[in-house]
Amino acid sequence: MNDRRKHMFDHLSVEPVLNATEAEAQASVDPTEGMTDEELFSFAEFDEKKSEKITTPAYSYWKSVWKTFIKNKFTVAVTILVVIVVSFAIIYPTFSDYDPMNAPNINNPEMKHLKPSFEHIFGTDNIGNEVFDVVWAGARNSLIVSLAATAINMVVGIAVGALWGFSKKMDKWMIEIYNIISNVPFLLLAMILSYVIGNGFGPLIFTMTITNWIYVAYFIRTQVMIIRDREYNLASKCLGTKTWTMIIKNILPYLISVIMTYISREIPSLISYEVFLSYMGLGLGSDYASLGRTISQYTTFMTGHPHLFWIPVAVMAVISVSLYIMGQKLADAADPRTHR
Amino acid sequence: MSTNSEREVLVSVRHVDVSFDVGGKKKFVAVKDANFDIYKGETFAIVGESGSGKTTIGRAIIRINPCSAGEILFKGQRISGKISHKEDMDVIRNIQMIFQDPAASLNERATIEYCISEGLLNFHLYKDEADRIAKVDKALEDVGLLPEHKSRYPHEFSGGQRQRVGIARAMIMEPELIIADEPISALDVSIRAQVLNLMNKLKKEKNLTYLFIAHDLSVVRFIADRIAVIHLGRIVEIADSETLFQYPVHPYTVSLLSAVPMPDPIIEKNRTSIEYSADEKYEGQQEPVMREIRPGHFVFANDEEIVKYEERIKMLENLRK
Repeated sequence: MNDRRKHMFDHLSVEPVLNATEAEAQASVDPTEGMTDEELFSFAEFDEKKSEKITTPAYSYWKSVWKTFIKNKFTVAVTILVVIVVSFAIIYPTFSDYDPMNAPNINNPEMKHLKPSFEHIFGTDNIGNEVFDVVWAGARNSLIVSLAATAINMVVGIAVGALWGFSKKMDKWMIEIYNIISNVPFLLLAMILSYVIGNGFGPLIFTMTITNWIYVAYFIRTQVMIIRDREYNLASKCLGTKTWTMIIKNILPYLISVIMTYISREIPSLISYEVFLSYMGLGLGSDYASLGRTISQYTTFMTGHPHLFWIPVAVMAVISVSLYIMGQKLADAADPRTHR
Repeated sequence: MSTNSEREVLVSVRHVDVSFDVGGKKKFVAVKDANFDIYKGETFAIVGESGSGKTTIGRAIIRINPCSAGEILFKGQRISGKISHKEDMDVIRNIQMIFQDPAASLNERATIEYCISEGLLNFHLYKDEADRIAKVDKALEDVGLLPEHKSRYPHEFSGGQRQRVGIARAMIMEPELIIADEPISALDVSIRAQVLNLMNKLKKEKNLTYLFIAHDLSVVRFIADRIAVIHLGRIVEIADSETLFQYPVHPYTVSLLSAVPMPDPIIEKNRTSIEYSADEKYEGQQEPVMREIRPGHFVFANDEEIVKYEERIKMLENLRK
């Protein structure tokens, strides 16, 4: 044991000796010889605050979202497509003089069933209307209805869902209401409502929101329950933060990404709903242009003049899919785990 | 040391039980008959193994966990059970908490400025915006952080810095009691001392009282004035810090102290941990209660046990002379 110790410390006893001889050798040619300590040394200043500094550039959430979003070229292309299609659908019908209750060329057989050409971009239909005008007027109404319904569903759903997730008392009876509403067939409800309150913008948006918000609320409730009991919420409670402040400051910022995902699914699904309801004759009345009703009217020409059917379907698909992809990409960018 | 009776009692925990429902009619009693006082200006520590209920006691005081029996008094006012909204707000204002995990207890989507001024905003404890900013700056400075950190997010900070943000957030409320729930267990060993020294410094400056919850005995010995040892929800021994380390009497305390590693290889080699099993409890038939074996030194014992403990403490006293 003693022997081993001796060996272990061997290098320690040798090294200082070597250093000493080296120092002596150097000292003979040292230019600083004869200088005092004050001249040779100065006090190194130690600043404790310096170690606390953070050198990385400041982080900003929305800036990072934007940076991540525009990094992908495909995303940018889809976004440009969405902007073009949506703004075209909203602006163009105000310039075309299409009116679903009016068919100026109905008595002109030369204007019927024309193939798409430069003059008639999407061709003309059985009553001599420009399909281009018909489709964009329909797309506009479908977009307005679905955007309005989505906005209402999301606002009501998020507000109710956030409270629902927070309050254990509310959960008891809300879950029963959810069970009842989710078991009512939607088509049945839409049919009854269309008989009771009629057709048109207001009634259609009402039909699309009367029960749909509860699915949003249920989704948000589950998300809130996941993060409700995290320690930082407990800390907020210990600081006396009120429930609503907690929802806005502690909960919703964490849900931006999942809410975006939900919206990106909700808009296309409500466009399809509108098309579906109008196709079934439960949507907008015959005095409104509508993609759904256009598709249902043109279905009869599927064999003879297939472009009449496929063009509105394709326009609907382009709008839905591009909106969906853009929403998904936005949701990805809104997730801070993808930042940097 | 025996001036306890003259000192002002800040928190008084009286026969408190805390239980949790575990499905159906079953109940899990996490804390049984907790009974102690915290004096103003002292650091009172609760030590025990995981699951012993030490955090639960802290949370019962700050009203996160409701008491199922007994009562808690704060400056003579009952703060357990149902109290008015105003009293509830008073409790929040005067009792603050430092959490165990600094990574989990800060809102990752809020700036440090919001995290720290959250309490100020809730109670409107500032004159105007400029005053609020000044207070946040002061709080940051008190814990050794820089005012420029205000616009940063918690994920940009190191663990020690985050814990100091947690401390600043509690301090800005100017509370009288701070419950520190294992504030350094989640931190790296190299920055534990930094946070402990900071807590001691702030305690002196602001005349605070701490309830320090920990399982690390060496830390407790460093920071605490008085220590309560808790085992399976039952407080088994309360004494002044040094008394507890010099004259431990309850077998669980003895076992706990024997488990402390020694930074000396020879002593550490000869150290034997004494195991304590719950079966040793309640020797004899009588139900044990808290008894004062020496002034200010309480132990959980029945008549038979107290005789044994008395012998032990006399033996230790002779040994130390």
